Amino acid sequence: MNLEDVLLSEITHRLTVICRRVCPFLPPDSGTSAGFQIVIVFKMSVPDYMQCAEDHQTLLVVVQPVGIVSEENFFKIYKRISSVSQISVRDSQRVLYIRYRHHYPPENNEWGDFQTHRKVVGLITITDCFSAKDWPQTFEKFHVQKEIYGSTLYDSRLFVFGLQGEIAEQPRTDVAFYPNYEDCQTVEKRIEDFIESLFIVLESKRLDRATDKSGDKIPLLCVPFEKKDFVGLDTDSRHYKKRCQGRMRKHVGDLCLQAGMLQDSLVHYHMSVELLRSVNDFLWLGAALEGLCSASVIYHYPGGTGGETGARRFQGSSLPAEAANRHRPGAQEVLIDPGALTTNGINPDTSAEIGRAKNCLSPEDIIDKYKEAISYYSKYKNAGVIELEACVKAVRVLAIQKRSMEASEFLQNAVYINLRQLSEEEKIQRYSILSELYELIGFHRKSAFFKRVAAMQCVAPSIAEPGWRACYKLLLETLPGYSLSLDPKDFSKGTHRGWAAVQMRLLHELVYASRRMGNPALSVRHLSFLLQTMLDFLSDQEKKDVTQSLENYTCKCPGTMELLTLPGGPTLPPVPFTKLPIVRRVKLLNLPASLRPQKMKSLLGQNVSTKSPFIYSPIIAHNRGEERNKKIDFQWVQGDVCEVQLMVYNPMPFELRVENMGLLTSGVEFESLPAALSLPAESGLYPVTLVGVPQTTGTITVNGYHTTVFGVFSDCLLDNLPGVKTSGSTVEVIPALPRLQISTSLPRSAHSLQPSSGDETSTNVSVQLYNGETQQLVIKLENIGMEPLEKLEVTSKILTTKEKLYGDFLSWNLEETLAQFPLQPGKVATFVVNIKVKLDFSCQENLLQDLSDDGISVSGFPLCSPFRQVVRPRVESKPVNPPEGSKPGDPSHVKTLEAILNFKYSGGPGHVEGYYRNLSLGLHVEAEPSVFFTRVSTLPATSTRQCHLLLDVFNSTEHELTVSARGNEELILHAGECQRMAIQVDKFNFESFPESPGEKGQFANPQQLEEERQEARGLEIDSKLDVHWRIPSLKRRGEASIEGLLNQLVLEHLQLAPLQWDVLVDGQPCDCEAAACRVGDPVRLEVRLTNRSRRSVGPFALTVAPFQDHQNGVHNYDLHDAISFVGSSTFYLDAVQPAGQSACLGALLFLYTGDFFLHIRFHQDSASKDLPPSWFCLPSVHVRALEAPA
Amino acid sequence: MAVCVAVIAKENYPLYIRSIPTENELKFHYMVHTSLDVVDEKISAMGKALVDQRELYLGLLYPTEDYKVYPSYQLCRYGYVTNSKVKFVMVVDSSNTALRDNEIRSMFRKLHNSYTDVMCNPFYNPGDRIHSRAFDSMVTSMMIQVC
Repeated sequence: MNLEDVLLSEITHRLTVICRRVCPFLPPDSGTSAGFQIVIVFKMSVPDYMQCAEDHQTLLVVVQPVGIVSEENFFKIYKRISSVSQISVRDSQRVLYIRYRHHYPPENNEWGDFQTHRKVVGLITITDCFSAKDWPQTFEKFHVQKEIYGSTLYDSRLFVFGLQGEIAEQPRTDVAFYPNYEDCQTVEKRIEDFIESLFIVLESKRLDRATDKSGDKIPLLCVPFEKKDFVGLDTDSRHYKKRCQGRMRKHVGDLCLQAGMLQDSLVHYHMSVELLRSVNDFLWLGAALEGLCSASVIYHYPGGTGGETGARRFQGSSLPAEAANRHRPGAQEVLIDPGALTTNGINPDTSAEIGRAKNCLSPEDIIDKYKEAISYYSKYKNAGVIELEACVKAVRVLAIQKRSMEASEFLQNAVYINLRQLSEEEKIQRYSILSELYELIGFHRKSAFFKRVAAMQCVAPSIAEPGWRACYKLLLETLPGYSLSLDPKDFSKGTHRGWAAVQMRLLHELVYASRRMGNPALSVRHLSFLLQTMLDFLSDQEKKDVTQSLENYTCKCPGTMELLTLPGGPTLPPVPFTKLPIVRRVKLLNLPASLRPQKMKSLLGQNVSTKSPFIYSPIIAHNRGEERNKKIDFQWVQGDVCEVQLMVYNPMPFELRVENMGLLTSGVEFESLPAALSLPAESGLYPVTLVGVPQTTGTITVNGYHTTVFGVFSDCLLDNLPGVKTSGSTVEVIPALPRLQISTSLPRSAHSLQPSSGDETSTNVSVQLYNGETQQLVIKLENIGMEPLEKLEVTSKILTTKEKLYGDFLSWNLEETLAQFPLQPGKVATFVVNIKVKLDFSCQENLLQDLSDDGISVSGFPLCSPFRQVVRPRVESKPVNPPEGSKPGDPSHVKTLEAILNFKYSGGPGHVEGYYRNLSLGLHVEAEPSVFFTRVSTLPATSTRQCHLLLDVFNSTEHELTVSARGNEELILHAGECQRMAIQVDKFNFESFPESPGEKGQFANPQQLEEERQEARGLEIDSKLDVHWRIPSLKRRGEASIEGLLNQLVLEHLQLAPLQWDVLVDGQPCDCEAAACRVGDPVRLEVRLTNRSRRSVGPFALTVAPFQDHQNGVHNYDLHDAISFVGSSTFYLDAVQPAGQSACLGALLFLYTGDFFLHIRFHQDSASKDLPPSWFCLPSVHVRALEAPA
Repeated sequence: MAVCVAVIAKENYPLYIRSIPTENELKFHYMVHTSLDVVDEKISAMGKALVDQRELYLGLLYPTEDYKVYPSYQLCRYGYVTNSKVKFVMVVDSSNTALRDNEIRSMFRKLHNSYTDVMCNPFYNPGDRIHSRAFDSMVTSMMIQVC
C-alpha cells in the first residue's frame, strides 16, 4: 500500500475543505480519505525517531522530576546533567557515553534485553523540598519512581533542592542536597560519580555474562512478546541451547559496545550472527546484525550520524585520528576465525580476538547488513518499532555516505511500516521526522511534502484543538521545498519559475492557517503575495475570489508595507502590488508654460562654468550629456503643483479601484496629493497623473508610487518594476516664485493663436474693433502665489501679419502698475493697455475701382477761390454698389490682428536665484473697416503757407457715422456712402524732423529711409488733421488715418517750400488778407526771403506786376496810370546762405481807389534752373486802396 | 496505461501536465513534483558518465504500490530526461498489464519526438507552457491505451 498516496488523498481532501473556506471556487472534492484499519497490539509502541547507530553504545539514564518542580528549574538542571554525556573511565582507554531522557515509556524498557541501549540503567530524580517535615514523603516518592524502572536500574540518584539543615548534612551516596537551583556547582561532579558507579555495574555484568561457564545453563533472553511462545519448549535441545548462546552473545556484544569495547563487541556480534543464523532465530539475528552495523558505523564514522548529538559527541571525542578515516571504502574485513567459535559454549577469553582483527564491516556491507536485519525484523509485526528505528538509523548512515537513492528506498520502506493506530501527535512527529530525513538526503520536495502532511495533521478535524500555529510554522518550513520564497523581489526578475499549481496551493494554505491562528496581518500579507506573484496563473474566477477574500480580510486589517516578523524569527517582506495596476511608463511633466521658470541670463552666463577656462570643451559636453540622462531638463518650482504621468494597465478581469495613489520621492520634502482612480477591466494603457507639491528646494527624485488596492498599501519602487519606461526621474526644484493670474476686461476668446506662434498662451482674449478705434484693455494682475511679486516686465509681440499696421498697436504705461509693487500674495494690480487698430483697408481694390472715377484730379486745378469747395457734398456720388459678397462688414473685410503680451515676472526666493516666469496673454483683434479715404488730393489755398486737403471719405460700416477733422464741422455719412471733405491745413515743414531718421540712414538703405520718412510725415499729417469718426448709434469713435494714401505728389503739395517768401506791405505781412492803404500815400513793399534749404540760393531778380481781377477771368495788367512805383519795380536779392535771410524794399503809390493785386514774378534768368518751381511760390498780394480820409 | 504525463522544464516547473482522473489533478501535481527529487538525484549521478553514452531513460522512479483510493490502479512513476535537461515524468497504471521496460521506453521516445516537434514550432517560446494540439493528441493517445 502506497502510504504516501493515501496521505496525499487524505491531505488533498483536508485541503479542499480548508481551501474551500478560503476560496470557495475549488471544484467539489470527490476524494475519500482512506482510513487505517490495522490495530496491532504489542507493547513497544513508541518509536524513537531520533535514534542513530551511535545510540547503541550509550547508557540510558532517565532524569525525572518528582513532586512539583517548575519546568524552568527542571530543565536548567537537566541541561547541566546532560552536558556530562561522555566520560573516560579511569585507567582505561574506554569512553562511556550517556544518553539522557526526561521521558521514557516503561514498556520500551522491557525491550532492554533485546538491545541494551533501550534499557534504563540510571535514574536521576530532581525534587523540591523545603522543610524537613516533607522529607520522608519526598524520599518515598523517589522510591516509587525507582520502582517503575526498577528491574533494569543499575543505580539511581535523588537531587533535593531547597532542603537545609540536619537531614541535608548527613552524607548519603544516593541523595544530594542543594540549597537552591543556583547554588549547585557540584552537580556535574555528582553525575560523574554516578556514571562511574554505573560503569562498575556495567562492567561487572559484562564480565559476569562473558565469563559464564559453558557448563552453566545460559538463560534465554527474550523480548516481551516472545515469552509465551517458549512455554513448554524443550530447554535441553541443542537447538534451544544454541539459541540461548546466540542471544547471550549478542547481549554481551551490546554490553561490550556500551562499555566502550568496540572490538570485543564486533567479535561477539559476529559469533552471535553465526549462532543465530544456524537456528533461524530471525528477530535476534536481525538484532545481532544491527549491532554489528552499529559497531561498524561507530568505528567508521566517529563524527556520528545523528547530526547534532553526533557533533557534540565528536567534540569531546578522544578519537580524532579515526575521524580522518571516516568512510574508508576498503576497510579490511577480516572474517572471524571460525575456530574462535566453540560449539559448546562461549569462549570466555575474547582477548585473543581483540588483537587479531578488526572485524569491522565495510561501508557497503553496513548497508547490506542493515537491509538484511530489516528484512528479518519485518517478519515480526510486533517488532515494527525496531524495524522503523533500524530504517531511520540506516538512512542516517546512508546520508553520510551520500547514497541518496538507497536511502530513499529505506525511507520508502519506513513509510510503509504500520505501527498501529497512531495518535495525531505521533503522526505529526512521524511525518516531521520523515521530512527531516528526506531533507537529510537532499530530497527537498519529498521533505516538503511530508512536512506539509505533518502540518495538515496538526489541524486534522479529529483534533479537538487544532494547532494552527504549529501548522503554520510547518507550512513555512515547506517553502524552500517548493522553491517558493516569500520575498516578492525574487519574482520580479523575469518570468515566474516554479511549480505554480503547487505553490499556489501552499499559499492558500498559509493564508488559511494564518487566519485561523488569529493573525490577519499575516494572511493579508500571504494573500497579497499570492495575488502579486501568481497573477499569471490565476484564472479569471480565481482572481475575483482571491481579491474578494483579500478585501474581506483587509477591511479588518489593512495591508501595510511593514516587515512582518514571524514568531520563529524570519521576516515577511512587504508585498507591493506592482501588477495592480501594471505601470508601463513614468514621465515627469514640465510645468505648464505659464508657470515654467526661466533663468535670467546673467551677464557672465552661468552656463560657462567657472571650472574651465574654455568656452567649449568636448569633455564637459560629454559629461553633461551623461548627467542629462538622469536629470530632466526642466525645473519644478517649490510650492507649485508638479505632475508625473503614469501609463497604467489593469490586468484584472474586473474594474480595479486604486485609491490613495501618490508619489514616493526623495531629496526634497514633497507633499504628495494622492489620487483615486478606477480602471476598467483589462484596460489598455491608461494615463494617470499624480501630483504633488515640493516643499523645499533641491534635487528631487521620483522613486516610485504608492497605492492602496483592495485595502493593501503598497510602495512600488520604480527600480523594482520590470519593463517600465522612464525618461528620467530626477528634477531640480528651484525656490518658490510668485504666481500671476491675469483677468481682463475683454471676453475670453475661443480662438487660439496661430500655431506658428510657438508661444503658448494661457489666456486668449478677443475684441472686435473698427479701424481707427482705440480700446482700453484693463488687465487685472492678481498674485495668487505665496510669494510677493516684485518684478514685472511687459513686452508685446505682434504675430506676423501681412497687413501694414500704422501707429502703435499696443501701448501701455507700466509705471502706474509698478507703483503698486511689490504685490503681496492675494493682492491685485491693474494694468491698462491701449489697443489701437489702424489698418489700411483702402487696398481693397473693388472699392477703389468703384470710387476712383469721380473725375477729381489732383493737380492742375486753377488758382481759383477754393473756399467754395470747402465742403462740397457729393450728393451726386453714386451709391456704392460693391460686388456681391463684399458688403461692408462682410467677414472678408475683417482683418485679424494677433498679438501676445508677455508678462515676465519674478519675486520671492526664486527671484534671488535668478528665475522668472513668463505669462503670456494672447490678444485677438478683429478689425473691421470703419471709414477710409479712397482718394486724397490737394488744392492750393490762398495763402502759400496753407493748402486744402481733399479727402474722399467712404463709410464702410453698416451704421451712420460722422466724420470730423480738427476745427471742421461734422460730416454725416450713411452706410456705404462716400463723400468728399476738404480740410484747410497749414503746410508742413517736413525737413525739421526727418533729421533723426537721417542719421539712421547710414545703416538703412535709401528705400527704407524713404519709407521711414514717409511714415513720419504721415504721422505728422495725421496729428495735424486729427480726423475722427464717430458712430453715434454704437457710441464708438475712432481716428481715421490717411497715412497709407499719401503719395509723393500730395506730399509735395503739403510741404512747405524751403525758401520762404514773405511780402510785407507797410511792414505788415500780407498773405491772404487784403492789405489796406490810402490813395496817395506811398506804400512800402518789402520782400523777405528766408532760406531754409541746405544750400545758398540766389541772387534773384523780382518784378512786381500789379493787376486788377475783373472777376470774370480777365486780369487787367495795364495799370500804369493807376499805380506808380516809387523807385524801380524790379527788386534784387543777393545770394542767401543756408538759414540766412535777405530782404529788398520798394514802394508803391496808388492813385485811385480799388482792389489791386500784385504779381511778383521772377526773372527767368535769375531763377536757378535746378531748383524746383514750387520753391518760388510767392504769396499774391492783395491791396485795397481806400479814399484818403477827409 | 499512462495516467499522467508531465513535461518539466530545466528549471523544474511544469511545461505540460495532464492526468486522466482530472478531478484530482492536484494529486498528480504533487506526485510528479516529488518524483523530481529522484530525477535530480539520478541526473546528478549520471553527470559523471560520458555525455554520448548517457541513457535518457531514467527508469522507475518510485516503485509500484497498491493504491487504496483507486484500488484498480497500480501506479508507477517513470522518468526520462532529454539532453537539454527537460524532464518527462509518466505515472503509469500497471495494474492490468505488467509493462515491460521497453514499452515504457518507446512511449518516452514518442513523447520526446513530439516534444521536439513542439520545439520546432517557430512560434513557440521555449520555457512557455505547451499548448500544442498535436502534442495534446499524442498524449491522449498514450493515455487512452489504458482503457
